[in-house]
Amino acid sequence: MKARFTVTLPTVLIALGCIGGVGCQTTVNRVEPGQPVAQKQGLMHKVIVTDQSLNNKVRVQNMSFMVGEGGLLKIQLEVQNLTRRRQSFSYRIEWFDEKGMIIVLPTQSAISRTLEGQETASITATAPNERARDFRIKLLEAAH
Amino acid sequence: MNKTLLCSVAALSGVLLFAPGCGTPTHYVQPEGSRLVTTVGQINIQDWANAADAMVQSMIDQVINTGRLKSGDPAGPALLAISRIQNNTGQQIDTDLLSKKIRVALSRTGKVQTYITFNLGDPEDPLAKDLQEMESARNAAQQKRLPDYTLSGKIIEDRAQAGRLQQSAYVFQLSLTTRQGIAVWEEEKTIVKQGTRPSVGF
Repeated sequence: MKARFTVTLPTVLIALGCIGGVGCQTTVNRVEPGQPVAQKQGLMHKVIVTDQSLNNKVRVQNMSFMVGEGGLLKIQLEVQNLTRRRQSFSYRIEWFDEKGMIIVLPTQSAISRTLEGQETASITATAPNERARDFRIKLLEAAH
Repeated sequence: MNKTLLCSVAALSGVLLFAPGCGTPTHYVQPEGSRLVTTVGQINIQDWANAADAMVQSMIDQVINTGRLKSGDPAGPALLAISRIQNNTGQQIDTDLLSKKIRVALSRTGKVQTYITFNLGDPEDPLAKDLQEMESARNAAQQKRLPDYTLSGKIIEDRAQAGRLQQSAYVFQLSLTTRQGIAVWEEEKTIVKQGTRPSVGF
């Protein structure tokens, strides 16, 4: 006796939804100390939003800095994916001297980054030389 | 009849007007931007820049900004000589795409200078080498300063495929070694790319 399976349109749609959903929606669970020992030196920052779509997905939550023994400024920013889906973006850091002139480097390039849903990541950068006093971080949504 | 002819002419004009716009005309793009062609099977220009940036950031962070970089001349920058950067990929690549970017960035820190007449094989600048020898012969008492550090490394490729999805991993390894043969800094940066076809942008 042969078993008979009836495949209806709603069944197919549900199955496709499940298959599609598995790959896209992965969020990150976190565990961290209730009272962090590290004391970060926070940095006031100004955000200029021109791409609201990206701002709704990926956002810089806070920024901190330190000056190393070698006298170079080091910055760290915490970026969070606000959505429940994996998001890709790229960022570029530009450094400026005390007169506001840009410091051009051959290694300066856009760096791509992917964050899982709700994931927070730290991005660090050290100034290219002692003349670097200011910086600007540009965030750009992934092309695809 | 006239109406049909007019419509045909209008349609043809439309096709002729818009047909050249279908392709992408050649244009300049910023090398540091994020709209560059990305392929799976080769190291793209942005990969070299990203690898060099990661290496320089690490070296600045761990050696220069911590005050661990020592110079033979206390008043001057440390001297660096470029050793072998081995290409263990299946591609023919010029490792200067990595080392030159690193040299330029290190030189702009003001803490490092590169020796270009002291390297493996032929000197990078043969004229400078001749001048250096002439200068040494003229001023025999002056001792030739040796490099404080050498920079060496390797580039490794690893490929994998799952159906149509291709993956290429490029591992960049670098070491900064003292004259005593001790590696004071080592770093590894891996760039992994996946895709079924080339694309523009990340």
